[in-house]
Amino acid sequence: MTTDDSTNSLRLNSVDRHGRHIDPAALAAAEAVFQRALELAINLGIDYAVVANMLEEVAAEASLQLTWRAGVCEAEPIRNLPGYVFRAFERDINRLKRKEIALLDDDTPRYTLAQRWVDPSRQLEMKVLSDECLARFDFEVGDICSRWMAGYSWDEIGKIHGISGHAAELRFWNAVRRMRKQLAKRKKSLLRTTRTDPNEELKPAMRTDAQKEETSA
Amino acid sequence: MPRKKRRQPDDFNEEEFRGFLNTYLSEAFPNRQRIGCPPDSDLQRMAECPVEARDAEISEHLTYCSPCFRRYMEILAGLKRKA
Repeated sequence: MTTDDSTNSLRLNSVDRHGRHIDPAALAAAEAVFQRALELAINLGIDYAVVANMLEEVAAEASLQLTWRAGVCEAEPIRNLPGYVFRAFERDINRLKRKEIALLDDDTPRYTLAQRWVDPSRQLEMKVLSDECLARFDFEVGDICSRWMAGYSWDEIGKIHGISGHAAELRFWNAVRRMRKQLAKRKKSLLRTTRTDPNEELKPAMRTDAQKEETSA
Repeated sequence: MPRKKRRQPDDFNEEEFRGFLNTYLSEAFPNRQRIGCPPDSDLQRMAECPVEARDAEISEHLTYCSPCFRRYMEILAGLKRKA
């Protein structure tokens, strides 16, 4: 990924995340447009690290272009290398953004911001259950869970793990059920320890009145 | 006459759980510095063929790194489309 030098300028690696070497000219061009690329990405809500990775990838692709153009006599050289790198980056980042939007709009139900705060206690319960599941699921159930979230069918999931779709479904839901049971037990014991007699705080005379009211009702 | 114990209706909703988990993992752990993130090739390999001995660490990482989780979901979606 990126490194900062003493002048605090934005620097990139000479190898991209796929291990492709970046030509020094392409690297210099990518570093020249780094700041501009970063501004564009921030406006789109994209992470700094993603920008660096993407610029390195674009620079590696530009390096391949440079090598190819140098080997072919008729091929025109790239006149404005920083401009070329930036346009390629812009294209890739727009594609990434479109993908993100498509992923948000897919069939998988998601909460909108408004829905999320409708019932805070329910959200808290969901969060506690999610944390419990994420911490305690074993590798296989964790993988089943990821694929279930990605919209795989139980048969597709079972095939990957060498079991039937039904077995995969059972393993996953049994694990979730176990977590829910444990949480319910903990919740009950917590309630038992914190519950007090509702009339305990009342004065003796008032307590009798309150108890009388209860029995008459 | 003994009263038959009535089962409490279970308000757990699988789709709600899936939606919550998806949103939670995608947003709750930004990891802007990308600390401990595995390379894309490792995510791809785990998506194609998960092996516990090799991928356990990556699998755990996905539970606390939203960018990696989102990328992994993309890879899984891509594989699903191809299949």
